[in-house]
Amino acid sequence: MKTIKRAFRMHRIFVIQELKRMMEYKGDFIVGIIGFLLGQFFNLLFIWIIFSQIPNLVGWTLEQIVFIYGFSLIPKGLDHLLFDNLWGIGHFIVRKGDFDKYLTRPINPLFHVMVEKLQIDALGELIMGIALICIVLPSLVIEWSFIKIVMILIVIPFATLIYTGIKIATAAIAFWTKRSGNITYMFYMVNDFSKYPINIYNNFVKTIITYIIPFAFTAFYPAYYILTGENPLFNIGVTVLIAIVIMSIGIFIWNRGIKAYESAGS
Amino acid sequence: MRRKFKIYKPFINAGLQEATTYRVNWVFLTLCNVLACFVSYFIWKAVFLSSGSDTMNGFTMPQMVVYIFLMFLTSLLISSGGTYDIGEEIRDGSIAMRMIKPISYNATFLFQELGNKIMTVCILVLPIIIGVEICRTIFTGAIQFNIIGFILYILSCIFAYLINFFFNICFGFIAFVIKYLWGANMMKNCLIGFLSGSVIPFSFLPDILEKIFLLLPFASLNYTPVMIYMGIYSGFEILFYMGLQVFWVVIFWGLSKMLWHIATKHLCVQGG
Repeated sequence: MKTIKRAFRMHRIFVIQELKRMMEYKGDFIVGIIGFLLGQFFNLLFIWIIFSQIPNLVGWTLEQIVFIYGFSLIPKGLDHLLFDNLWGIGHFIVRKGDFDKYLTRPINPLFHVMVEKLQIDALGELIMGIALICIVLPSLVIEWSFIKIVMILIVIPFATLIYTGIKIATAAIAFWTKRSGNITYMFYMVNDFSKYPINIYNNFVKTIITYIIPFAFTAFYPAYYILTGENPLFNIGVTVLIAIVIMSIGIFIWNRGIKAYESAGS
Repeated sequence: MRRKFKIYKPFINAGLQEATTYRVNWVFLTLCNVLACFVSYFIWKAVFLSSGSDTMNGFTMPQMVVYIFLMFLTSLLISSGGTYDIGEEIRDGSIAMRMIKPISYNATFLFQELGNKIMTVCILVLPIIIGVEICRTIFTGAIQFNIIGFILYILSCIFAYLINFFFNICFGFIAFVIKYLWGANMMKNCLIGFLSGSVIPFSFLPDILEKIFLLLPFASLNYTPVMIYMGIYSGFEILFYMGLQVFWVVIFWGLSKMLWHIATKHLCVQGG
């Protein structure tokens, strides 16, 4: 209990520190958010142009697609907002020998790396995701119930942890190779598949994004449950299960990696 | 000329060495981009399936496949990382080291990048072109490969690369104003992705937008080479659009020179 309390206090200190830094570079903050908004805007423009030529995409309406797309941004945005610093491990922290810093401090290095930075750019994704859902919600027929709302509240943090777990696992590879940023990036590219309904893909891709690199659980399956109310055991239950498994794998690789880590030194 | 080449040859080597040292990284990055191609492939497949017709805005599904993969190859060939490098060098002050040397700042980048690109060209061009050609042959029942088209494509890619290179240098100077290049870079990539036709062929857009986009410098990046390769442009159009490419090369070259001149006067290296 004491450690958890301490962790929260540490987190608060880091966040405050980060906010101070941000106030120093206000321009950057705005540029980052606009950058993300613009990226989403063009993706949506693409979807919109496509839908102006076809009535529906293999049975999905424009509103449903936008809903899935918007939902996919929320776990992604949350992970991006809170734990973005993990990218640094694979890109430069290990390679430049900066990781030593984390090992010399009296807190868990993984925790320290994760919470050290707050990536405000992610607000661009979160705002967009919530806005999209709000825009299409009135035109969708969704049955709401108390259980469904509880399910949504449960599934979002776990979907976020799928991202975090994959990031921890792939970042930790840098402890052996010095640089693993592109491996993380590759996994992230797979996540592009999950922004669209899974039935547009062939079985091979379906299997991969469901069972191998389970990004489909960060967006499509939970969103599908919200839209239809079908099969909560699979759509929500398996999401939670997979999040736990991925996080465990991530932490396992990380711990092995720290043991193998030898400073790049300079 | 020989002397000049001798000065810059080490930069080519350095670029090549950099590429080979981080080859694992490179393989992964390339794989990521191939994955992205497959996402578009499946989306387009679903779109064609849902549209119920064989052609959409002048594209058949096989043509669309060719379009997606050629766009991918072209963006790899013409990619240029100048933006990041200049920004980072301004940040950490190492730009000062470049400025005291009696060589052109732009040229060192250019040659380093050419070295870096050798690996991409050697490993990727052949498999993708062969793949695309096999695909076209199967779909149409006749060999479509056109050597003149291919040569013009390569030439057009070279122009496109130069536009991209000088454009990125110009863009890199933003680091003098915004110290956060990552966000700015992201904005730029999204904009270029759309305006260069990588996301969606221009013929899917409203007429007026199509006409405007074709004249913007971004169409000269990916769209022109791909259209030439696919044999969609007529002889006159090829001439016109390649002329436009040359025009943009000159414009951005001039602009980068001008910005360099202005920026070096304002440069203030923090620490050292």
